[in-house]
Amino acid sequence: MHVNRREFLRKSICAAMGGISLYSALGNLRLVAAAANAKPYSLTDYKALVCVFLYGGNDAFNTIVPISGQARTDYVVSRGGLALPAAGLVPLTPASGGGPTNYGLHPAMKDMTGTVDADNVAGNAGLGSLFGGGKAAIVANVGSLLYPTSQAQYQNDTVPLPPQLYSHDDQANQWQTSRADDANGTGWGGRIADLLHSANSGQAPMSITLGDNNRFQRGLIVNPYAMNPDGVSRMNYHDNGDECWIGGCDGSIRTANAAAYNALVASGTQANVLERAYADASRRSIDNYQVVAAAIGDTPPTWTTPFQNTDLGRQLQMVARLIKARSALGMQRQVFFVSAGAFDTHNTQLTDQNQNLLEMSQALKAFYDAINVDLQIANSVTTFTASDFGRSLAVNEDGTDHGWGSHHFVVGGAVRGQRFYGEMPSLARYDEGVPLNGNPDDTGGGQIIPKIAVDQYSATLASWFDVAAGDLPTVFPNLGRFNSANLGFMT
Amino acid sequence: MISRLRGAPVLSSLLAIAAFLAMLPIHARAQSHLPDANFHDSFDGWANGPSNDADAARFLTQATFGPTAADITHLRVIGYQGWLNEQFAATASTQTQYLDWVSNTHPDEYLSDDTRLEIWSINAAGTADPSRAGFPNNARTDQLRQRVAFALSEIFVVSSNSGALRDETWGLADYYDLLAADAFVNYRQLLEDVTKHPVMGIYLSSIQNQKADDAENIHPDENYAREVMQLFSVGLNKLDTDGTPLLSGGQPIATYDQATVRGFAAVFTGWDWNNAGCDPNSYDCCSEETYFYCGPNDRTDVRWRKPMQPVEVYHDNTTDKQLLNYSGATLANGVLPHSTAQSELTSALDNISRHPNVGPFIATRLIQRLVTSNPTPAYVKRVALVFNADSGGVRGNLKAVVKAILLDPEARYGQWQHPDTFGKLREPLLKATHLWRAMAGRSTSGRVANLRTYPGIEDLYGQAPMRSPTVFNFFKPDFRQPGEITTRGLVSPEFQILSDTMAVETPNNLYHQVFCDYTGSDSCWGSDDPATLQLDEAADAALAASNPAQLVDEYSLLLMSGQMSPFMRSVLITRLNAVQDDPPDRPLGRTRVQHLLYLIMNSPEYSIQK
Repeated sequence: MHVNRREFLRKSICAAMGGISLYSALGNLRLVAAAANAKPYSLTDYKALVCVFLYGGNDAFNTIVPISGQARTDYVVSRGGLALPAAGLVPLTPASGGGPTNYGLHPAMKDMTGTVDADNVAGNAGLGSLFGGGKAAIVANVGSLLYPTSQAQYQNDTVPLPPQLYSHDDQANQWQTSRADDANGTGWGGRIADLLHSANSGQAPMSITLGDNNRFQRGLIVNPYAMNPDGVSRMNYHDNGDECWIGGCDGSIRTANAAAYNALVASGTQANVLERAYADASRRSIDNYQVVAAAIGDTPPTWTTPFQNTDLGRQLQMVARLIKARSALGMQRQVFFVSAGAFDTHNTQLTDQNQNLLEMSQALKAFYDAINVDLQIANSVTTFTASDFGRSLAVNEDGTDHGWGSHHFVVGGAVRGQRFYGEMPSLARYDEGVPLNGNPDDTGGGQIIPKIAVDQYSATLASWFDVAAGDLPTVFPNLGRFNSANLGFMT
Repeated sequence: MISRLRGAPVLSSLLAIAAFLAMLPIHARAQSHLPDANFHDSFDGWANGPSNDADAARFLTQATFGPTAADITHLRVIGYQGWLNEQFAATASTQTQYLDWVSNTHPDEYLSDDTRLEIWSINAAGTADPSRAGFPNNARTDQLRQRVAFALSEIFVVSSNSGALRDETWGLADYYDLLAADAFVNYRQLLEDVTKHPVMGIYLSSIQNQKADDAENIHPDENYAREVMQLFSVGLNKLDTDGTPLLSGGQPIATYDQATVRGFAAVFTGWDWNNAGCDPNSYDCCSEETYFYCGPNDRTDVRWRKPMQPVEVYHDNTTDKQLLNYSGATLANGVLPHSTAQSELTSALDNISRHPNVGPFIATRLIQRLVTSNPTPAYVKRVALVFNADSGGVRGNLKAVVKAILLDPEARYGQWQHPDTFGKLREPLLKATHLWRAMAGRSTSGRVANLRTYPGIEDLYGQAPMRSPTVFNFFKPDFRQPGEITTRGLVSPEFQILSDTMAVETPNNLYHQVFCDYTGSDSCWGSDDPATLQLDEAADAALAASNPAQLVDEYSLLLMSGQMSPFMRSVLITRLNAVQDDPPDRPLGRTRVQHLLYLIMNSPEYSIQK
């Protein structure tokens, strides 16, 4: 049999806290109490935030590419053999005043509906159409920052920088925590869930990951339920799993099995902290799958725009299915996480990124259609991309190295779309001794310094999600260092 | 001998325990979730042990893919030191010859990465290898070497879960053989062998890396340069010898910066495929003209198994490189004068391997893989000092490091010193190998396809040998499970793969193996496949039927190093006694064995190796 190894990124590297898990008595009671005692949110409408994390660091400079003008000239010089021909790009036409008119999307993002086949580029129905239709926006040159940072400040070391710049792990954590100075802390999605979970009436987990074990959804009170995008698996030994017949599915056997198993994993009874954590994880995974399975049923819905059988396609299909079941789950606010890998294109970038972006575009379009056409709640669901970092403007033969600032997409009915937010950076090659070193946005090493902090990008989404203005500094402690708490891309 | 251990000369302590337990009031036993303290032996002369079967089983749990009854007996006879010397001398099991054998004897079979997992399973289980002479009487015994190689494969990560390596089965197998061959050599040699292996060259894109080309705005590829420091040697922050971070103004101190990454990137330029056996009249051989196009013709090409070679014209031999700068660095200010590719590589790897971080960095990782997730700083320091200088003053002696890890008092008695925090979550693969070894699993053909599952085993276990999703391994050394582990400042690396999904899938896979795959079974699809390793459950069936409590005690020793709490023991006995039916297709004894194995292997007490 041939197995899709990349499924791994999604299913297996997951931490395992199930659902709404109040800390045990040994937990950090003060912090938990503070979060739990916060003014409870009472929200009657429905909203979902969906984070699409592109692991490895997507090369945004080859995702949104100049078609003409000085930027094009600079791009061709900087990118050399990796420069994409202008002819194949999908032109982006912003609304009046909505940003530069000389950029286009990577050609793979043209086709949002066809099969996963780079040659099958049929029609301009993808992110280009969502952008043109006002349902997608581009946020330019975002990255993890501690303070606004200029080239001179970077080079003279006169401003604190995020620790371990250009390291995958650290930068991905900084994106997910929106705390470049505390990337081992909770995620910003988790902190939002800690605040807002009181709005939900159901017992199901507010945060669900179909992707990897992310830090984004980790909170003090609410932790994510990690779910298989293909559906719920049940325990064979003491529940009605697919192979329970082997040991005997009859009621008395299962009852006796469950009694023994449940005694062993009973809460708080184990003598060793790791044993207690194992028991908690085991118990909660079962509690959660039972709640979720009951809500979503066994039969997947059919969607007007079919999802592709790709990593992201299957994950986002399950997100759509879970959103469809929001009433049964008792949810007013949900935070989802999906992820894809293989964006670390040190080599063979042209081939690899083409496939990656094709899959991403198709999945995003199918998901938007499912929410908009089938569920008819386009204004209630916002999807956004995130990634470790952008890539270096400089190349290394057939790939690019780790960078910093990067462009991102926000998709949904509530997005003020068809616009760029922020400034597209210079793509000129760095050259000491010429005015502004040739590129005022370059660190000097080929990485582009972000002009928008992750905190600003995140806070704009949080405000749309109805986190109160007074709670923003709690969720994003460093937000005040930057000139705007709201980038304006959400209605 | 009806049961695995009955009649063994070393059972006296266990029987004494059973007698002791029998004297306790029932309620006292039923309440306790702690293993009984009567199990431990003297703290004196720990390195000369083991002095009882439980200590022997516990040592073997750390040092092998799982104790067997025979291994426990043997270790009792020769002692830790003798056992280690035997292991260091044992012939290494290898993988590549198995792939040759499968492709020669089964030419119609598609040889996939799952075939590589077959020989991994054979070498881990320690069963006879049909690809080598003498089968079926050729089982190898190099358990410690294989166990350390597996640990190294989770540190020096390469992965078939990467487009370019997906089908390069021979190259991947050879890389694993390298790790096994180097498990007891010097760290410096391991580092060079890893650096020059073409599979690593592909995985972290150091092969066909070229010097800077200003006209094309090309910089040397920084991938390997960054990860060799971050993950294979020194890590991000400066460490004290005990593994704790050194601080400046309360903040960690970075070990290197971007200039250092660029320096190493320039060092690792000019490396290409080995030219062994290439055809000089084609693009096969690597040279200035063919630098980006040369390479092996197919996946069995010997060049997948030969170290990379330099093509000097693509090496940056004109700029001096900023390498690691640290107190005691041989290079002035850490700057390497420009030179040839091999000369620079030699100096650069010396520069890395002499950094004071390497000892505590490697010590911490190997301790976490073999013994415990949260070693005390004192334990790390004792091992790091051995890394820094073995008894002969040699730096980087991995044999001495492994020995120091296993014979440290904290390894031997940490479960009593720190009962609340000592130990580690068993990796699902190690649960499976433990099951196979403890239950004398054998297949009829000698091939072992138990990890050839659908969906793939990594989707059931969260891991598979050399299939990590990224170079950061399946789980990271500093992962903290949310909850009590986080609030107490502990780490729990393996919990990173205990997702909600795996918390169901892994027990279900073990369920399948325990309830389906016993000797002679045709109970389930695949049970009677000649490549299915089947468990010898019959050996314990009679005892299970007649005296389940005694079987529980024996499995407590074999699977849990005698650490089962009285509470758990009572739960298990109750469950076994409730099995009373004895139909021909599901006989009483075997059914009880199956319930017992399943419940133990999925229990919190077993799942944490202590």
